[in-house]
Amino acid sequence: MEQVWYTAAAWIGLALLASLISIRIGISVALVEIFLGFIAGNWGAHLGSAIFQPNAWINFLAGFGSVVLTFLAGAEIEPESFRRQLKPTLAIGLVSFLFPFLGAMAYAYYVSGWNLQAAQIAGIALSTTSMAVVYAVMVETGLNNTDLGKLILSACFITDLGTVLALGLIFAQYDYWLLIFVVITATALVFLPRLSRWFFAKWSGRVSEPEIKFIFLVLCVLGALAVTARSEAVLPAYLFGMVIAGLFVHDKALIHRMRAIVFAMLTPFFFIKAGTLVSLPALIAGFGLLVALFSVKMIAKIIAVWPMCRIFKMPLRESNYTTLLMATGLTFGSISALFGLNYGYINQAQYSILVTVVIASAVIPTVIAQVFFQPREVSLKRQAEFVYCGTAEHFLHMPEDE
Amino acid sequence: MYRKILLAYDGSEGAKKALVAGINLAKVHQAQLWVLAVQERLPRFSGTIDEVQEEKALADEQYGRLLQEAQARAQAGGVELKTLMRPGHPAQTIVAVAKEGKFDLVLVGHTGLSGVWAAFLGTTAEKVSRHAPCSVLIVR
Repeated sequence: MEQVWYTAAAWIGLALLASLISIRIGISVALVEIFLGFIAGNWGAHLGSAIFQPNAWINFLAGFGSVVLTFLAGAEIEPESFRRQLKPTLAIGLVSFLFPFLGAMAYAYYVSGWNLQAAQIAGIALSTTSMAVVYAVMVETGLNNTDLGKLILSACFITDLGTVLALGLIFAQYDYWLLIFVVITATALVFLPRLSRWFFAKWSGRVSEPEIKFIFLVLCVLGALAVTARSEAVLPAYLFGMVIAGLFVHDKALIHRMRAIVFAMLTPFFFIKAGTLVSLPALIAGFGLLVALFSVKMIAKIIAVWPMCRIFKMPLRESNYTTLLMATGLTFGSISALFGLNYGYINQAQYSILVTVVIASAVIPTVIAQVFFQPREVSLKRQAEFVYCGTAEHFLHMPEDE
Repeated sequence: MYRKILLAYDGSEGAKKALVAGINLAKVHQAQLWVLAVQERLPRFSGTIDEVQEEKALADEQYGRLLQEAQARAQAGGVELKTLMRPGHPAQTIVAVAKEGKFDLVLVGHTGLSGVWAAFLGTTAEKVSRHAPCSVLIVR
């Protein structure tokens, strides 16, 4: 029993350190947690310590963390902007999933010699787009409030839906359990918005948090059914988030309380665990493959997204920017790779390479997009804030570049 | 001579001195005085949208308070102060706002809150003075 508390202290201590570093340097806590997990896991393995090796209760917290993360991602869709730009959203989102999925799977299978299931995991993990990474970039420019920004976010949502569907359906066992899972999930998704609305209206705001327990209950029941059908718990979680997204828009306090629980207790275990399982020797040995898979993801995204942006008459600079942002990835890529490792579809070396490629895709295209392809649309809009009021005397002191 | 002055404000000692200088200059030149607070260190490469939203809300609150304080000081000095708040890299954002708003003077404190890193990477004031489209006054 004593060992549980030492282990908990070590993991929560690492999560706390990640928070402090994240606040200090302005890099997301998820990325810092993965990095610290990587250091701690490899250092622990080097010293022969098991404290940073995931055990049963850490696996549960990490697994539940990934399910709740997926639920929150599903709840992030803005139904209104999605409906308004339906065609480009669906087209860009779909090809952004399909091309990298097929490209990375083909490369891993035919060139790298991975078995089919491992190649499918590679395809899924590298097909993702990180809505959160994209959103963080857009907040800096104010682009998240423009039509272009909303289109990109909605397209990211469709790409992630493709990822979640692939993860949930490719590895499922096609028997009567899957049928039961599909029927119950579909029925639940029809009735859950109404039921949730009623439940939240009647019970929300109490100190015992019945509405959060209600959400967790739905996630656990649907997750249990999914796993019984050899599918994945993130699939119903994402769909459940989608159907009750409208409720969250109106209940900011609920979201706030849920975030507090999730960020304090669940996601640190998921991201730190994701980091501890990345093996440094495997990364060194597979560096060439890492670069190759990263290139495959980038090329596939460019081939898929850029022409589609041009078809929908997006200006050149905006097309470049959208393509690069759609090439990012983080949370869903990590979830997919960890799913593959947990179920034995990939080994630790393959997992290490996939997670590192996913992290590289969170950073490299983002930086390139921000430095070279920032859309001009935003700065023009913002110019309206200023009113120029120079006088004749003022023009004697012109700005130096004019 | 100056008609539109931009003051970069992060609540540090240097920025407070720059605010006093800005108020005086605005009075002398009958100029418009704008204050810009740059929200640095919002989480990049985020794992969840919630993380960005929470941090942005917190930054809005913190920097909003700083701007209110600056506004109160300016009001006490008899100057109307207009405020701006932007997320981003401090030097880049100050330069971009100076260009967009066609300011003819930028005021910055000698050392801002990022003083520790400044020793290695150069201060925000240095970078602004190098890239700004107009005159820059670094207040000590």
